[in-house]
Amino acid sequence: MNAIIFSALAGVVMMYSGIITSKKTVIKYIAAIALVVLIAANLLQVYGIWQISVDTRDMLSFEKFGLVFNTLAFTATLIYVLLSGKEIENAGVNVAEYFALIFFVLCGVSILSSFNGLLMMFLGIEILTIPLYILTASDKRNLRSNEASLKYFLMGSFSTGIMLMGIALVYGATGSFALHTNAPVALSATGGIKASFLEVAGMILMFVSMAFKVSAAPFHFWTPDVYDGAPGVFTSFMATVVKAAGFIAFIRLFEGHTAILGPTWKILLAFVIVATLLIGNVTAVFQQSVKRMLSYSSIAQAGFMLFALYSSNDMAKEGLLLYSVAYSLATIGIFAVLIKLKDYAFDDFNGLGKTHPALAFATTVCLLSLAGIPLTGGFFAKYYMLASMVKEGGPLWLLIVAVLFAAVSVYYYFRVIQAMYFKEGTPSVQTEITSGFKAGMVLLAILIILLGIAPSLVLNLFYF
Amino acid sequence: MNWPFLLLDAADNNSVANYFPIGIQLIFAAGFVATMIGVSQLLGPKRKTADKLETFASGIENHGDARQPVAIKYFLVAILFVLFDVEVIFFYPYAVNFRELGWSGFGAVLMFVSFFLIGFIYIIKKGALKWED
Amino acid sequence: MSKLVYLVPLFPLLGFLINGLGRKSLSKTMVGIVGSGAILASFIVSLCIFFDVKEHGATVVNLFSFIRTESFSIPFAFQVDQLSSVFLLIITGIGFLIHLYSSAYMHEEPNEHFGRFFAYLNLFVFSMLLLVLGANYVIMFIGWEGVGLCSYLLIGFWFKNDNYNYAAKKAFVMNRIGDLGFLLAVFWLLFKLGTVTYGDVFANVAQLSTFDITAITMLLFVGAMGKSAQLPLYTWLPDAMAGPTPVSALIHAATMVTAGIYMIARSNILYTLAPATQTVIAVVGLATAIFAATIALKQNDIKKVLAYSTVSQLGYMFLGLGVGAYTGAVFHVMTHAFFKALLFLGAGSVIHAMHHEQDIRKMGGLKKYMPVTHITFLLACLAIAGIPPFSGFFSKDEILMAAYGKNPLYYYIGLGGALMTAFYMFRLYTMTFLGNFRGTHEQQHHLHESPSAMTIPLIVLAILSVAGGWIGIPDVMIEHGHQLEHFLAPVFAESAKLAEHHHLEASTEYMFMGVSTVAIIIVIILAVNAYRKYQDNGAENTGLGKVLENKWYIDELYDAVIVNPLNALAGFLKNVVEKSGIDGVVNGVGRLVGYGSRQLRLLQSGQVGNYILVMVLAMVVFVLIWFNDQTIMDFLSKIF
Repeated sequence: MNAIIFSALAGVVMMYSGIITSKKTVIKYIAAIALVVLIAANLLQVYGIWQISVDTRDMLSFEKFGLVFNTLAFTATLIYVLLSGKEIENAGVNVAEYFALIFFVLCGVSILSSFNGLLMMFLGIEILTIPLYILTASDKRNLRSNEASLKYFLMGSFSTGIMLMGIALVYGATGSFALHTNAPVALSATGGIKASFLEVAGMILMFVSMAFKVSAAPFHFWTPDVYDGAPGVFTSFMATVVKAAGFIAFIRLFEGHTAILGPTWKILLAFVIVATLLIGNVTAVFQQSVKRMLSYSSIAQAGFMLFALYSSNDMAKEGLLLYSVAYSLATIGIFAVLIKLKDYAFDDFNGLGKTHPALAFATTVCLLSLAGIPLTGGFFAKYYMLASMVKEGGPLWLLIVAVLFAAVSVYYYFRVIQAMYFKEGTPSVQTEITSGFKAGMVLLAILIILLGIAPSLVLNLFYF
Repeated sequence: MNWPFLLLDAADNNSVANYFPIGIQLIFAAGFVATMIGVSQLLGPKRKTADKLETFASGIENHGDARQPVAIKYFLVAILFVLFDVEVIFFYPYAVNFRELGWSGFGAVLMFVSFFLIGFIYIIKKGALKWED
Repeated sequence: MSKLVYLVPLFPLLGFLINGLGRKSLSKTMVGIVGSGAILASFIVSLCIFFDVKEHGATVVNLFSFIRTESFSIPFAFQVDQLSSVFLLIITGIGFLIHLYSSAYMHEEPNEHFGRFFAYLNLFVFSMLLLVLGANYVIMFIGWEGVGLCSYLLIGFWFKNDNYNYAAKKAFVMNRIGDLGFLLAVFWLLFKLGTVTYGDVFANVAQLSTFDITAITMLLFVGAMGKSAQLPLYTWLPDAMAGPTPVSALIHAATMVTAGIYMIARSNILYTLAPATQTVIAVVGLATAIFAATIALKQNDIKKVLAYSTVSQLGYMFLGLGVGAYTGAVFHVMTHAFFKALLFLGAGSVIHAMHHEQDIRKMGGLKKYMPVTHITFLLACLAIAGIPPFSGFFSKDEILMAAYGKNPLYYYIGLGGALMTAFYMFRLYTMTFLGNFRGTHEQQHHLHESPSAMTIPLIVLAILSVAGGWIGIPDVMIEHGHQLEHFLAPVFAESAKLAEHHHLEASTEYMFMGVSTVAIIIVIILAVNAYRKYQDNGAENTGLGKVLENKWYIDELYDAVIVNPLNALAGFLKNVVEKSGIDGVVNGVGRLVGYGSRQLRLLQSGQVGNYILVMVLAMVVFVLIWFNDQTIMDFLSKIF
């Protein structure tokens, strides 16, 4: 409860900070301090020291998994604010509001990591997405930003409608919003558990809607357009913390339901995973803009994260935490560098290795982590996903397909590395690069390598 | 099968052919509708004038385009009005259950109202209700 | 105290980071102090640990969980026991002396390269400590790779010279061949026992079949062959002399090359249970000892002689391991570290004085110009030749006695090698220090004794070379004289129980000692006489001499038998198979992906309506599949 309350309050505080002061830097520091307080408050609850307890009538349940995820998500946001704070300041006029919206998103994140009923899940998702529509449009004078926001809004409300329909059907079938009480289940002719038509139909609709939120194919279409159109800073946030939260909600929603859904569920999920990997990886190959490449890469990474849903065992949950951290850190790092450049084309990176060796090194580490090269966090993240799938008895071909697409992904990530180190030119750095930023990026790279050497750093959080 | 006795056979024979008469009936039904529509198109009177394409406005002539830009302030005020109007609705159930909810209910409503107050102060400070600028 | 063991590798790591990051800004004095100080600190902690182990026995210190999966876990743990504490002392002690020496020897290098050198050297010590301290084969492997990397970096330290780079590459590749064996053995262990931690492996060794043990020990030995330069993977070590001389002393004489011996001594139980492998090791070791000694007879480069001598001495150590004399092998590692480091540093001192001239034909008579170097070098020569009571005598004697117990033939061949050792060492000594100076006048004018930062390590090492053997005096001479054996006994206890013991009569042992000593002294006198009046008359060696001078043409043989056919095969693969076959496939896959990318891109039309249409269609398909799964399954089962 601490996380939800403090993030909402922090949002309000940020709203007012814009009225009190007009200095953008001050607002940024207030946000950073609020984030630290938020992390501390959440940690107090994780370790059971102090918490605000509110009777939620069992609509929320605070488990270790969700709370640990909160910690990781808030920490990632803090890193994001510290690295890309300058760009948030320059994204538009209403800086305080941007930060306030980010905190409201975090409020949605904390609800999504602890909901215990469909109603709360719906609220969480709405609290999470509505601020994003605004953030997408924050570059008010830019047509592309406006277009992206409108597209996002239209398709998002469409998917919300589908989700509401699904919730209604499930409620109709079971008479309850609760997650894990599945009332009347009848045995089918073959002996397996067969749920009522309404419930299964409702689950399918919810699945479609959640697949939309995490941009799994074939519901991914909004992702490239929105990520590309939105201001770079906010794309960074959307593609990392928000997406990871989507997956946490996804796995919480479907965790207890795999028995009802039966064997077809796995087949369909395998289809979705392969489609997502295919579209994400293959389309990313041909992109000319790094920003757009990264949005396809985020689809591809979502394909990997879906494996957690496929296996939905304890290892998958651990792995999902690790994946969220590894993926978020790497993506935040790349975006932090990317948004300092003029355009988002591959050529902008030319010669970065010569002019800014520290930045180039950190970016390389981030890219290697995304590609899942050993000794970076991304490797263990992918390993955990695939291993949990194998442990659950997943088919071999799925494993092979996943590894093949991981190999394809190396191609487009290395294009950036190639541009940085092997192409001549001067990178079009727009914003001034401070030594603090460089140090931050190098620290981030070290963190990613540390995760690759000792993934237990994150996983042990889960146990201690 | 002897087709003149088709209807007789249908009564006691349980095969696909039994549904043949029903099929015929369906084709007749659809065909009749299609034919009637087609025939009415062909035989009915036609008078093509430009007036027919005009929007019907009780016989009054149209002036200009309906899609004119409206100041965003109208929308803003309208939305804020709806927000604060909806707030009032929540007081009705509270009023009905006032006694049962007791102090904790009062605290909850107080919190609800204070949030709205905070929001209200915020929009005033932001100048959302300033009509002229 | 043992809990603080993590400090030992931590100091060199810090030294590496400071020197590596600050190589452009730190002054040379600063770099020297940081680099040497880090090793000195490690040495002090090692000393404390040594006494702690002596008091309280061995422990395993668990630091953190390194890899944790469902089926096995690998902790990052340090093994603190008698064996590792002895190696700690050798590495940090000699390491410190060599760091001190280097601060003077490398002083002519530019600032940045000076820092780079010390950073590499510290990193090497860190890796070596990791190798020795690790409590399982994986940690050992990390150290193993680390020292290989540092060796590569330091051999190619003067990277502007192409030949040096080639030598570095050669060392790396040869080591890699060995590493493959090591890695396979580790996987084999993991597969069979599910663990790689020493304690667990040695406790469960009974679960392995004879075939498994033989295979694992053979593969581990392949790893040791690469790292410790045994036949047939030894050719990289002489070439590795391209690196700066302190590097040769530290890495290619005292520490890294003994890693293979450490590994086998560590796994002694496995080897005791695999007699077939032991025989192979003994034979390979002995063959290497003799073979390298013959080559050393005719080399004219001061460092090359020492390099072949190192290979030969390593062969003796492997002979010791092969006949089950683990203590003897470790003992020889220790004494060899003392006198060979001393020889290399002495050679460095000479090279320094001669302005980078390494050919002994152009030296001579240095005795009067460099007294300290001369005396210490002479002591080292006596030690390596095996004259009592110098250190080399005791350790070599112990190995040869154990070899005699196993098979008298080993002893006689080994003794032949020892005689050759005495000959080439004193040939080297005589040609360098006795007789007349044969270099240019300019060189003679500049001859000088080296600064004290270089001579102090020489003196310390000389004392150790003389007295270092006294901790291992055979029991026949003094009751309980072999303190090292008693100290190391717990490590080799299991093997000692299993192995058969051969006890020689005290009189026989004395007789052998006497005969070998007399023979060695005769050889020394011969060598000194033969080369005292040496004049470079430009005559080519003929016959066997020529073959020896060209190192048995082994490099040429490898070129002809392995490298050239491989190159030809590579050429064939590259031009024919790769161009048409693999390239075709790879490019084809690339083109397919590119094509797919362009086509899939078209799906992204930008029209929200289209997007939603596809979503709805997919949703409908989902629903249809879900509620007709039985039908679809039936249909599929009919098709397939």
